Amino acid sequence: MQFELRTQVIEPTRKTFSHLVRRYGDRPASRYEEGTIDLQAVTNFHYRPLWDPSREIYSPDYSVLKLTDVYAYTDPRQFYYAPYVTARADLHEAFGSTLDYLEKRGMFDRLPPAWSSLVQDILLPLRHYEAAAQMISSAAARFGWGATITQCAAYAAFDRIGNAQMLSRVGISFGGGSADCLDLAKTAWIEADTWQPLRKLVEETLAERDWGKALIALDTMDRVLYTLFYTHLDDVAIASGAGSYSLVAQHFSSWFADQRRWLDALIKAWVADPEHGATNAAAISQTALAALGEIHEALCPVASAADALIDDNCHITLDTTVAQVRDAYAALGVNLEA
Amino acid sequence: MTIAPKAARKLTMKQRYSALTRDLDWEPSYVPAEELFPYTRFEGIKIHDWSKWEDPFRLTVDAYAKYQAEKDKRLYAVLDGFAQSQGHLSLTDASYLNAMKLFLQGVTPLEYQAHRNFAYLSRHLNGPGPRFASLCQSLDEMRHAQTEIHTLSNYNKYYSGFHDYLHMHDRVWYLSVPKSFFDDALSAGPFEFLIAIGFSFEYLLTNLLFVPFMSGASFNGDLPTMTFGFSAQSDESRHMTLGLEAIKFLLEQDEDNVPIVQHWIDKWFWRGYRVTALVAQMLDYMLPRKVMSWKEAFELYFEQQMLGGLFQDLAFYGIRPPRDVEKAIQEKDYISHQAYWILYQFSHAAAFTTSVPSDEHLDWLEEQYPDTFPTYRKLWDKERKNVENGGRHFVRGLPQLCQVCQIPMGFTEADDPFIQCQRETIFEGERYNFCSDGCKNIFDHEPVKFRQSWLPVHQIYQGNCGAADLPGVLQWYGMQPGDGGEYLGSVDHENWLAWHDMAETTGGN
Repeated sequence: MQFELRTQVIEPTRKTFSHLVRRYGDRPASRYEEGTIDLQAVTNFHYRPLWDPSREIYSPDYSVLKLTDVYAYTDPRQFYYAPYVTARADLHEAFGSTLDYLEKRGMFDRLPPAWSSLVQDILLPLRHYEAAAQMISSAAARFGWGATITQCAAYAAFDRIGNAQMLSRVGISFGGGSADCLDLAKTAWIEADTWQPLRKLVEETLAERDWGKALIALDTMDRVLYTLFYTHLDDVAIASGAGSYSLVAQHFSSWFADQRRWLDALIKAWVADPEHGATNAAAISQTALAALGEIHEALCPVASAADALIDDNCHITLDTTVAQVRDAYAALGVNLEA
Repeated sequence: MTIAPKAARKLTMKQRYSALTRDLDWEPSYVPAEELFPYTRFEGIKIHDWSKWEDPFRLTVDAYAKYQAEKDKRLYAVLDGFAQSQGHLSLTDASYLNAMKLFLQGVTPLEYQAHRNFAYLSRHLNGPGPRFASLCQSLDEMRHAQTEIHTLSNYNKYYSGFHDYLHMHDRVWYLSVPKSFFDDALSAGPFEFLIAIGFSFEYLLTNLLFVPFMSGASFNGDLPTMTFGFSAQSDESRHMTLGLEAIKFLLEQDEDNVPIVQHWIDKWFWRGYRVTALVAQMLDYMLPRKVMSWKEAFELYFEQQMLGGLFQDLAFYGIRPPRDVEKAIQEKDYISHQAYWILYQFSHAAAFTTSVPSDEHLDWLEEQYPDTFPTYRKLWDKERKNVENGGRHFVRGLPQLCQVCQIPMGFTEADDPFIQCQRETIFEGERYNFCSDGCKNIFDHEPVKFRQSWLPVHQIYQGNCGAADLPGVLQWYGMQPGDGGEYLGSVDHENWLAWHDMAETTGGN
């Protein structure tokens, strides 16, 4: 016996919207495609911006990095708003559970003293780095060309402020429910010698008006920073009985793996572009090379401070990571040899 | 080494929110602040203390993601169910969808524009409080653009007029009205955008611009759009509080801001109000089942709530009601009739259909507009005779457009329904035409900006729209047979009748 539900069948006249039929042929489109492709206006703008009359409201010329057909690039995660917020609701719920556990078991109090200092001196100041990363990503969300790229950048911007809030919640928890530890971390970010090279680099990256170059610079910094603090130190923490550091770090490293997916695909698309590929590769190479040198230098005092606390080889890991980032760029078709 | 203090002072909710948002900010010292925030000085607005910004809502990223994910889950379940059950057949009539065609073509692209420019504010405002609030709104606006597309996507599969809304938004004559409105806001500075969109669009006029579509949906069996409307409600109330905080913040920061803000209120009231002409005709003419008349909506949502409420509060800051508000009040008696009459005559070049209102509909209009409608009723009586004689009226020429609002110049003087209102300004030897004093005032204040307007009719004459003849231009617009013209006998109308016959004969529906 079969379950037979009679319904009125009406053949649809169209499978999807015309602009998608022109691009993909006459086939049903996904919600990602309907919600993203061609969403940004590209022509017949009415007025030039008062804040930059030399350009249109949207223009490919806000960056040297360009795609001939911007919608040849799509987000490998196929994130439109609903799946994006659903994924992030899961991420934050998992992080919340971790934090509950750490609090319930008094895990921050049980950290070895050196690791306690590392959380205070090294981990918490990074919330300011994340806040700047939001602003850099937001600039790409506004000035980028094409809704696939800008959508990724917009979600990344929200992710970064989310990361800053996760670090802040660690700080509040670590400070026994007060903001004292966050205040100390902020003072360190603004005043301590350890952080000044990184803060300077961050401020300079914020001042970069080319959203594409700023995104590459930030990503280059992220690659080194995330590897060092959230992958390498995660391993060391486990070996050193600092399990709570590891429990926190896992959420950041898994977020970063997700971030890599859209950015690596974008870099590949830039480099492979039939018309702009060579120019893009050169600009990415130049920007990433400079950023890599700068982040290497800027993180030296931070690595030293970490080494002084936990007697590790952060310094060596930093050097290795920088070399790995070069390789990673090479795998994407960008040569970073000086 | 630092040891976390024991028995520390617990944070209040407000302190905690501050620690998670604005406390992330710091004063730059390696790069001058003017270089990091280059766009917040040229408009003349003076901000002395960004920390005085009161957070309009306290939503952290984790809570935001959780609530929004739950809301979307419910919304998409409704959309899927409606599509699966051929829910479109239970609309009041296929002609109802003209309102939604206008919405998808005219409003959805604006949600996307708002998404992009709130991202601009989340980067370029100096204060971390408003930056974070803007970031949340930027995401919300993306949500609205996409959920609207997904909500209306199912109708596109069965009905005309929806299929090329993005292409049309950038080209078609009546869509340059909303497009130029938002382009105007995006090309302004960050503070003007806050007043234009955050305050004027999202607060002052939202019940006249956005909400009527949602109410129309609920009265006409459009469950998906109504569900979208409810789902957007909590986002919208955040946007409203942001808009209100924005204006208060600017006014409280410096007295010199008051005249600048007053000018923006004057400008953006009229800009937004002119866009509502499209909503006015939708409310009065496009809904098979009426919600309320434009006049009633205007009196309730604008005269009572805004003039009677909001502007009483703003008087404290030295802000008076918008300059041309009296004209808008006068127009409430006739603007919808004139706007629909324009669209009726030009719908052969539009992606929606129009028709002569039924007797019952005309009676309703006369009840709503006892003083003015008898004049317009004569017009419809005459047109009905034309239709009966096979001469349905379409204007074959191209209309003159207002240089600012871009609506065809079909509005009249308030005291005479037969005298077209026309104003003009000569600027650097060129003559510019306006539909009203409101639009002329806006031009006169920013002639260099508004002479740039991409006027669809001028563009056709200049040969920039694919062809010099109507069929060629319609092709360039992306129009397909059935998109526009008369509703009776249209593709949608024929399909609707056939589908309902089918439903009757098979015992469905």
